[in-house]
Amino acid sequence: MLRIDADRARFREIVRGRIRTDLKRYLSTGELIGRSGNHSVSIPLPQIELPRFVFGSNDEGSGAGQGESGESGDAKARASASGQAGEDPGLHILEVEVEFDDLAQMLGEALALPKIEPRGHKTMETESGRYSGLRVHGPESLRHFRRSFKNALKRTLASGQWDPARPCVWPEREDLRFRDKKSVRKPDSSAVVVHMMDVSGSMGREQKEIVRIQAFWIDTWLRSQYRNLEVVYVVHDAVAKVVDQHTFFHLRESGGTKISSAYELCLRLIREQYRPEDWNIYPFHYSDGDNWSARDTESCVSLLRDELLPRVNQFCYGQVKSAHGSGQFKKDLDAALPSADKLVTAAVGEKSEIPESIKAFLGRGR
Amino acid sequence: MHLKRSLPAALKYQAVRVEEAARRAGLDGYEVEFELLPPDALNAVAAYGGFPVRYPSWRFGMEYERLEKGHRWGLSRIYELVVNNDPAYAYLVSSNSLLEQKLVMAHVFGHADFFKHNLWFAPTDRKMLDTLASDATKVRRAIDRVGQERVETFVDRVLSVETLIDPYLPLREWRAGAAAGAGTAGTSELPTYDVLGFLLERAPLEAFEREVLGCLRREAYYFAPQRMTKIANEGWASYWHSRLLTGGLLEAEEIVDFADCHSSATACAPGRLNPYKLGLECWRSAERRGLDLFALRRAHNDVTLLDTLIDEEFLERELASCGGARLLPEQEGPPDYAAAKAKLLQELSWGGLPQIGLVAVDEAGERELQLVHRHDGRDLQLAQARETLKALAALWGGPVHLLTIENGQGRRLVASADEVRTLETREALQRCA
Repeated sequence: MLRIDADRARFREIVRGRIRTDLKRYLSTGELIGRSGNHSVSIPLPQIELPRFVFGSNDEGSGAGQGESGESGDAKARASASGQAGEDPGLHILEVEVEFDDLAQMLGEALALPKIEPRGHKTMETESGRYSGLRVHGPESLRHFRRSFKNALKRTLASGQWDPARPCVWPEREDLRFRDKKSVRKPDSSAVVVHMMDVSGSMGREQKEIVRIQAFWIDTWLRSQYRNLEVVYVVHDAVAKVVDQHTFFHLRESGGTKISSAYELCLRLIREQYRPEDWNIYPFHYSDGDNWSARDTESCVSLLRDELLPRVNQFCYGQVKSAHGSGQFKKDLDAALPSADKLVTAAVGEKSEIPESIKAFLGRGR
Repeated sequence: MHLKRSLPAALKYQAVRVEEAARRAGLDGYEVEFELLPPDALNAVAAYGGFPVRYPSWRFGMEYERLEKGHRWGLSRIYELVVNNDPAYAYLVSSNSLLEQKLVMAHVFGHADFFKHNLWFAPTDRKMLDTLASDATKVRRAIDRVGQERVETFVDRVLSVETLIDPYLPLREWRAGAAAGAGTAGTSELPTYDVLGFLLERAPLEAFEREVLGCLRREAYYFAPQRMTKIANEGWASYWHSRLLTGGLLEAEEIVDFADCHSSATACAPGRLNPYKLGLECWRSAERRGLDLFALRRAHNDVTLLDTLIDEEFLERELASCGGARLLPEQEGPPDYAAAKAKLLQELSWGGLPQIGLVAVDEAGERELQLVHRHDGRDLQLAQARETLKALAALWGGPVHLLTIENGQGRRLVASADEVRTLETREALQRCA
């Protein structure tokens, strides 16, 4: 259409290239989380503008790497050149909006993630649809004037009542047509993610940050695979409860750890709200690997084997290393359920290992 | 882009009326071709700087996204867009009201007159619409020959250093009797501020690079006078739109809307100088003093105009309302308007850009270029300067040195295409001063 579209496409391509280069960094820092809206993330790209000779102060020191063209420096440089105000457009760093779908695609490319294979062959009849059909009965508000009039006109002409000197058309009941909703068969595309986190005393800020980043990317990926994604947050120490997102990441409880409490709650959620026939279910559990007792670990294992695993697409356990945690739970799970292919466990020592654990969780295409 | 969409009769009628009023008042610009565009098409044209055809570059796409976003969220709105060309091209936005169209038209006739008669525009190419279209073809052909990546990289590097020109050069050449559209031949004389011209003559460039550089340098010189006359030019156009419209073009019921529209264009964001407002007040004060406005608009750029017209009394009355309060030194006692004026003129000098010249080439050694920043008390932003120097070194195909001053310390930046070293040197203190 317009010439500008080619330039715009090129710009978008460059932006995507930059983000792809930086993706590894975004994967192991929480940078993007605070910038996400409903459908897109806004990513600041300071390095995309061409460098020029400009006035500006160099107070903040040159700093390392990214810091060199850091935000405050730039903003000041522009501000002091405002003698020619009105012309210089961007007073701020360029922020580009990237759709979650795009971001997920980049993530998929970077980590070589397979597309999720459909579980079964369900299709759901949905009532939603567009008014693209016609029918003979309906409310006045949906009357299709043009079609109704056309019918009336045809009937008038065919029956010889048409008088060119007095061109009137009286519609009758059977001439009327009404708009009709066409229902569409849509593939089943609902999924629920249950993020469960151990918030006992040993899970510190660093550990929560890791969980937060993982959860963000997992949601991003799954959202690109399912039309409708719901996310449920569960925290537990000795008891488990459903919380909102903010609480999930900021709550700090202390006390004992009874992992089975979370698994039981998860099972209850599945039974009551997210029936496996209608939902693709992805429980994720994060802890530092300490459980209260070996007895409780046993009941966790049997819960998983008998109740949870048969109902879910995949169950992921991410063990975050902490100063106090023994890391025993992962060993116990791996030992007790060696052949459970719906169970994925991964250990994360530090932030740079996040991409690998995301790949472990999502790399099986379930 | 399809130009030559004809104006609806109602607008055409207004255009004729406004033009007649402008001529009667003594404005004598180029013929103006008005184009009526929907907002998204206007954003596209604006991204190209008002020209329907430019060479392909992602930067225009970026600018378009910015404008489009601003438009969508209602943050910014483009009123007028006029191109210095004969005939002048001006764009009207279809979503504006009739009053706004009239105001824009009057404003545009002011610009057209300024373009035609202001001395600084005298050397500019008046067939720039055609020139840029043919330059675009050249760049496209280069892309076909060597591929998009290489041309794009080269264009980006040149654009990084496109401010390294001598804004006074075209006028000097024009006075010496050269044809209009001066600045086409490069230079190899030193010292020079025309670094682009020097590269054109002396850098070891491939044929396509030389051609593209020629195009971009031509653009840089074409746009330079607009930077140097922003305040005078916008002020002139604002002065005339207000005078023409209130001089009989407005219907009675339009007066309030006009006042609203006019004052929003001349309102100031805090801390930012509004060139429309400052220029307008300058021309009005010249009028009050009984000066010959037409003679003034012929001779002056921003710096000389402000130097001639503004005095303490003017600043006392207008400085704060034009958004220039920050120019006053913070001190006890009566405000120092002389200092504010000096600072204002300094900020506008050299088109508001750092003055960086090429002084020497080391022919015997590694062919290194020696640049000097003429330091006027304002430091360069060094992080950006380093990146810019890398681009320059890549264009030149050899090392580039820049002498500058940072926080009172002499600095020598030594750049190659990949890295920049920063050395301390006392030499810079003398040579940059």
